Amino acid sequence: MKPSFLLKSLAAASIVAVGALASSAAWAVKVGPVEDPIRVVKIPKGAPIVIATYHVISGADTALGLDTQRGAVVAADDLGNTLVGHPIKFMHEDDGCNAEGGQTAATKIAANQQVVAALGGACSSATRPAAPILWKAGIPDVATAASSPVLTAPDRGPSYDGLVRIVYNDLWAGREVANWAYKVRGYKKAATIHDGSPYAEKLVRVFQENFKKLGGEVVSDEAVAPNDTDMRPVLTKIATAKPDFIYAPTFVGVTSYLIRQKKEIPGLEKVALVGSDASMGAQLMEASGKDLLGFEISTTAMEPEAQGPGYKAMREKYKKLFGEYPIQGFHGNGYDAMMLVANAIKKVAVTEKDGTTYIPIKALRDAMFATKNMQGVTGKITCDQYGDCGVYNFAIYQYTNPDPKTLEPGKNPKRIYPEKF
Amino acid sequence: MNLERLKQVTYVDVTLWLMRAIIILLVIAGTIGTVIKDRYTTEQWVSMVMFGLTIGGIYALIALGYTMVYGILRLINFAHGDIFMTGAFTAYFVAAPLAKSGFLDEYLIVGMIIISLVAMTVCSCIALIVERICYRPFRSVRSLAPLICAIGASFFLQHAFRGMYGSSVRAYPDVKFFDTVVSIMGFNFPRIQFVVVIAALAAMYTLYLIVNKTKMGTAMRAVSEDRDAAALMGIDVNKVIIFTFILGGSMAGIGGVLYAFVFKQVYFFMGFFPGIKAFSAAVLGGIGNVPGAMLGGFFLGVVESLGPALFLDGLGIVAPYQLRDLIAFTMLVMVLIFRPQGILGERLARQRA
Repeated sequence: MKPSFLLKSLAAASIVAVGALASSAAWAVKVGPVEDPIRVVKIPKGAPIVIATYHVISGADTALGLDTQRGAVVAADDLGNTLVGHPIKFMHEDDGCNAEGGQTAATKIAANQQVVAALGGACSSATRPAAPILWKAGIPDVATAASSPVLTAPDRGPSYDGLVRIVYNDLWAGREVANWAYKVRGYKKAATIHDGSPYAEKLVRVFQENFKKLGGEVVSDEAVAPNDTDMRPVLTKIATAKPDFIYAPTFVGVTSYLIRQKKEIPGLEKVALVGSDASMGAQLMEASGKDLLGFEISTTAMEPEAQGPGYKAMREKYKKLFGEYPIQGFHGNGYDAMMLVANAIKKVAVTEKDGTTYIPIKALRDAMFATKNMQGVTGKITCDQYGDCGVYNFAIYQYTNPDPKTLEPGKNPKRIYPEKF
Repeated sequence: MNLERLKQVTYVDVTLWLMRAIIILLVIAGTIGTVIKDRYTTEQWVSMVMFGLTIGGIYALIALGYTMVYGILRLINFAHGDIFMTGAFTAYFVAAPLAKSGFLDEYLIVGMIIISLVAMTVCSCIALIVERICYRPFRSVRSLAPLICAIGASFFLQHAFRGMYGSSVRAYPDVKFFDTVVSIMGFNFPRIQFVVVIAALAAMYTLYLIVNKTKMGTAMRAVSEDRDAAALMGIDVNKVIIFTFILGGSMAGIGGVLYAFVFKQVYFFMGFFPGIKAFSAAVLGGIGNVPGAMLGGFFLGVVESLGPALFLDGLGIVAPYQLRDLIAFTMLVMVLIFRPQGILGERLARQRA
């Protein structure tokens, strides 16, 4: 045989092979009795159904991630730790609340093709790189506490097609704060401070837009670096603009310095400072000392009465399983995320007589997006076409005691708006 | 006539001159813009200078540690920022109970001396341990090893404190006396700012006396000029180095306590940024030069505090305070390009050359 003929036939064969591979991507996958355009997870009889979670479970923000993760575990317990006849098995990963951690966690989860769905993350910065990696591997994801608008923006792109979000969108938060400040408090001139983080900057922009639309004026638009400690120069600048209030949805460090140093600036002694739930918790109380008194934050309502009907029972079960009451504010979101996935799996899973279950992923993703009026512990959950499913009960809280031991959402900080739900 | 000299001018020279001109023009334009806008009152300007002097005094105290060690060992002690943290953090455990029992409000001076002594002792001891373990084995080695070791020591200290006391923030107690306002020439300032500036100046003056008037200070200066010659003259170089680390540690300790009473918070990572800034201040003033470090610290503090309002605001830059670090580090780069020996000059290096 001539070498040139060999080469030609090899080339032809490889072209055919490549063509076959390329076209197979468009074909549906058929496993057992189920067909799906993306993939089908086959779970043999007795084998567990694997749900992955990724949250921040190390470092300074541990409480945020751990609380959310525990919420999902409570939900599984409420389901009897079984789903469509298989035991539920969790794969818990740590995303460190940053982009690198999110990428690592998602890559690890994506490597396990038995994973049916993922829950997480609690931070937008981790969820942003993680969700596309998961969806590329055919794993739909429920963001539990990542509130950045970009995750569910209409232009988020097809790589986020597998992502729904069970927490509120910051677009709503910014709008509500502007409404409250202008209409309820009667503030006409606002100053804003952000720390350059995607969360705070976007929230401030949304607030400014809405505040101006209502007829208010943003007299000072400032930013600091997240590691700054001396806020007095920037506060002095704000004082020259004579605002009615200062909106600073920053994290614990910057917020506590603002709280402490505001009183030193002539002209700002009586000006209200309003923060957000990014800084909520015992850390801020410890860091701000007695100057915390009167500090206000905007957030979604946190008291048991403001949640869905199942919340109180869930809270007790949390205590029973983990020996303490919830340590942060997003356990309800973790719980609802797990329930949303469980409901969707129940809808699409096919179990054969021999006990083998098949879960088509595209159908699962569509069932998740089609969630409507699901009664969750955070409220009634309905998803829109971009995956926003969160419940938002806007409320303003005010600290009444600087002692971290007295932290109890509802009492300290106390809800000052709205008076009733 | 000067054609020969003109021929020697290179593109690099021209670029550097252009850079100088552009920066000076930007600063002038920004300042004029701010003056025209007339946004701040005189009282606000004076307050901002005072903020700058307060933080500058603390930078200066830390910078002294960098500069003295560099003067003696030609080594950048990158763990110095974290040594500053260890003092402030440990002193918290003394300050909190003292304040709680009411002792600090009643006997303020005694209380502050106790807190400062604790911080100074801890800083000095840790500085000595770092010197013994990380620097001494490499003293005669000409390589980057001591520098890498210093960075390692910095991480070790941060994470040791994180491991021991957790990653959360701890609040320094409020002292009634510091919270009051003091009025000078019609301007009102929080008393703590005065206390910090005066305490920093007093500490620096004491250090200046030690270096210039005592026998040990003379030995220090001798070792920094020529270590071998000093050893031949009968000076115990080891003793001098230990003494230098104790002095640097003590200054960092005082700085740490003052910092903690101004900003009221301590946590394991708090030393990193003040450390970097103080190092910049030491280079600004001329590293190895004791008065230079003091001047550099105050200068950096004031420029950081005034810069955004004075230069950037006038240029119409939105949210200028985000760029505060940029001003500080641009200044450092400028000094390194145009006056590598620093403002007051790296005195020893020049004498050697």
